[in-house]
Amino acid sequence: MSTIQIYDPALCCSSGVCGVDVDEALVYFAADLDWAKQQGAQIERYNLAQQPLAFAENAVVRAYLQRSGQDALPLVLVDGEMALAGRYPTRTELARWTSGSGNASAPPTACAPGTGCC
Amino acid sequence: MPRFLEQPPIFLFFTGKGGVGKTSLACASAVSLADAGQRVLLVSTDPASNVGQVFGLDIGNRITAMPAVPRLAALEIDPQAAAQAYRDRIVGPVRGLLPDDVVRGIEEQLSGACTTEIAAFDEFTALLTSDTLTADYDHIIFDTAPTGHTIRLLQLPGAWSGFLETGKGDASCLGPLAGLDKQRAQYQAAVAALADPARTRLVLVARAQGATLREAARTHEELAAIGLTRQCLVINGVLPADEARVDPLAAAICAREEAALQAMPDALRALPRDLIALKAFNLVGLDALRHLLDAAAAPAATIGDLALPDFDAPVLSQLVDDLARAGHGLIMLMGKGGVGKTTLAAAVAVELATRGHEVHLTTSDPAAHLAETLNGALPHLTVDRIDPHAETARYRQHVLDTKGAKLDAPGRAMLEEDLRSPCTEEIAVFQAFSRVIREAAHKFVVMDTAPTGHTLLLLDATGAYHREIARQLATSEVHFTTPMMQLQDPARTKVLLVTLAETTPVLEAANLQADLRRAGIEPWAWIINNCVAASRPVSTLLRQRALNEAREIDAVAHRHAQRYAVVPLLATEPVGVTRLLALSHPVTPAR
Repeated sequence: MSTIQIYDPALCCSSGVCGVDVDEALVYFAADLDWAKQQGAQIERYNLAQQPLAFAENAVVRAYLQRSGQDALPLVLVDGEMALAGRYPTRTELARWTSGSGNASAPPTACAPGTGCC
Repeated sequence: MPRFLEQPPIFLFFTGKGGVGKTSLACASAVSLADAGQRVLLVSTDPASNVGQVFGLDIGNRITAMPAVPRLAALEIDPQAAAQAYRDRIVGPVRGLLPDDVVRGIEEQLSGACTTEIAAFDEFTALLTSDTLTADYDHIIFDTAPTGHTIRLLQLPGAWSGFLETGKGDASCLGPLAGLDKQRAQYQAAVAALADPARTRLVLVARAQGATLREAARTHEELAAIGLTRQCLVINGVLPADEARVDPLAAAICAREEAALQAMPDALRALPRDLIALKAFNLVGLDALRHLLDAAAAPAATIGDLALPDFDAPVLSQLVDDLARAGHGLIMLMGKGGVGKTTLAAAVAVELATRGHEVHLTTSDPAAHLAETLNGALPHLTVDRIDPHAETARYRQHVLDTKGAKLDAPGRAMLEEDLRSPCTEEIAVFQAFSRVIREAAHKFVVMDTAPTGHTLLLLDATGAYHREIARQLATSEVHFTTPMMQLQDPARTKVLLVTLAETTPVLEAANLQADLRRAGIEPWAWIINNCVAASRPVSTLLRQRALNEAREIDAVAHRHAQRYAVVPLLATEPVGVTRLLALSHPVTPAR
């Protein structure tokens, strides 16, 4: 079973509530993440604002932040290697990493227009 | 003995908005109880604190015995320093490892009022839960109290699940709580001590003014709901009725205070209450403190044999001269609650409109009568009002419906509490205001509020504003600027800081200014409202108050402000066009 690590940008207050509007991509991603967990995926999630040490201690993440800056988050590592950067994964991608195969039968994901997930 | 000191429990907290006299009352209470034979520890978090000065020695962040008062010891906590130490705990380990802008971003997240408040509570925790201290002292007196928001946050189980205990976070994070270094059990014990009527009494301090009484009522209800049921009310600085005989201004103030007390919210009416008379003397020195709670100390009213120096501070119309020159622009009045932002926003708007400029006044004043009396009253002036409660409620609901829908029960409880933070209201209100900001390109837009620098920096950092503005302008214009960019441009936006000529309000305004500067915004001017010195009072007591103001006016004029104006305390409530104009053009009464 692969381990998926998600490095979130700094989300202010709880989960970006301070924004003028709530980022729908985050909402849908939360649901996809729940689904993946139910499939048995091993998932860890870090928020830059609260666990900066987790970013600093991981060489891949630290180098990525230095090269591309915090605007380029989120960053997704699978088994310690960079798997996706700059957006949240889709349910299909989560399924591929979880099962180790691209043909996992993922149920259709709830998708918001403009989030880049469909 | 005032009622709030009758049979006092071990912990006494004084709470109220800045400038009502919490620290003076806490000091006077501590001295009074020590004089009566009790062993007392006084804890001050007031950055304007003169506790050390009062007792004639440096105190600082360690328990120090007061030689001048047997049985009394004191301790000063600097909430800003506590917050800085707290930030360092989180940010320190990654400094130099992560890029500088990332580190700065994290620091900004931890630079809000909530962090300061939680850091101060962190310091209180040890005092509330130490067996040694509670054995050494009969009473521990605090000149401030934690807000309901902080206590509720600490009570939520959701705040503690996750990384504080396991070191692992999740998507629903808990903001400033992340840097707490004590154990959950200790916070629970501290909250339990607060909620125990046998151990804790809360003293609500207010002035005889509608706004501060309403705020005291809100604090009362909020903290009572958490379990701090043992509460008293102190109305501080009440002008003795005798003064009304000798001075028309004093008569008007007495009548206004009487009316405010009559209209006191019912929730407060049920509490044990003390009225503390306004004193002529400055509350510095042990002798003055011993007389603060002493009803007999009020001197008989006299007509001023006390000479007032000449007063020639700039008036509001002089500031408006400068404002009018640009022909248009955004004017935002900013300051703590109760200093008169809405009234002064209306005065500036009316003054500009009278000069023939197109003006749009937008107010968030919950008392709608100001907007109603002005609408249609003048050519060139339009007035609208946004309701902060309605805007905040709509915003909360929107977030809960979208973000909250996917959360489990503890996560949703955390989110709901976050949405009760002061930041949320500020954001919701500013969001509503930002709809009219664009009008400032061709007319004057005057607002009675402004976002703090902290909020602007966070909004800007999330980029949410760029997206919002881009969406609004996508169809009409090619170029756009964010509200932050517009606020930073002195040619387009002028921020006026409103304060009172008293120590704590001036300090609070200076803090707001520092916060705006962090966001690259330089306040354009300061306005000192309700100035007694500018009213040239007759009674000795008011003249003494006027003399006391001199130091604060000097600090604003020479230390804080690029330019400033002084608005006198008026005998009549400034409602309607004529009286609002009088704020800008005060007539010096004949001596």
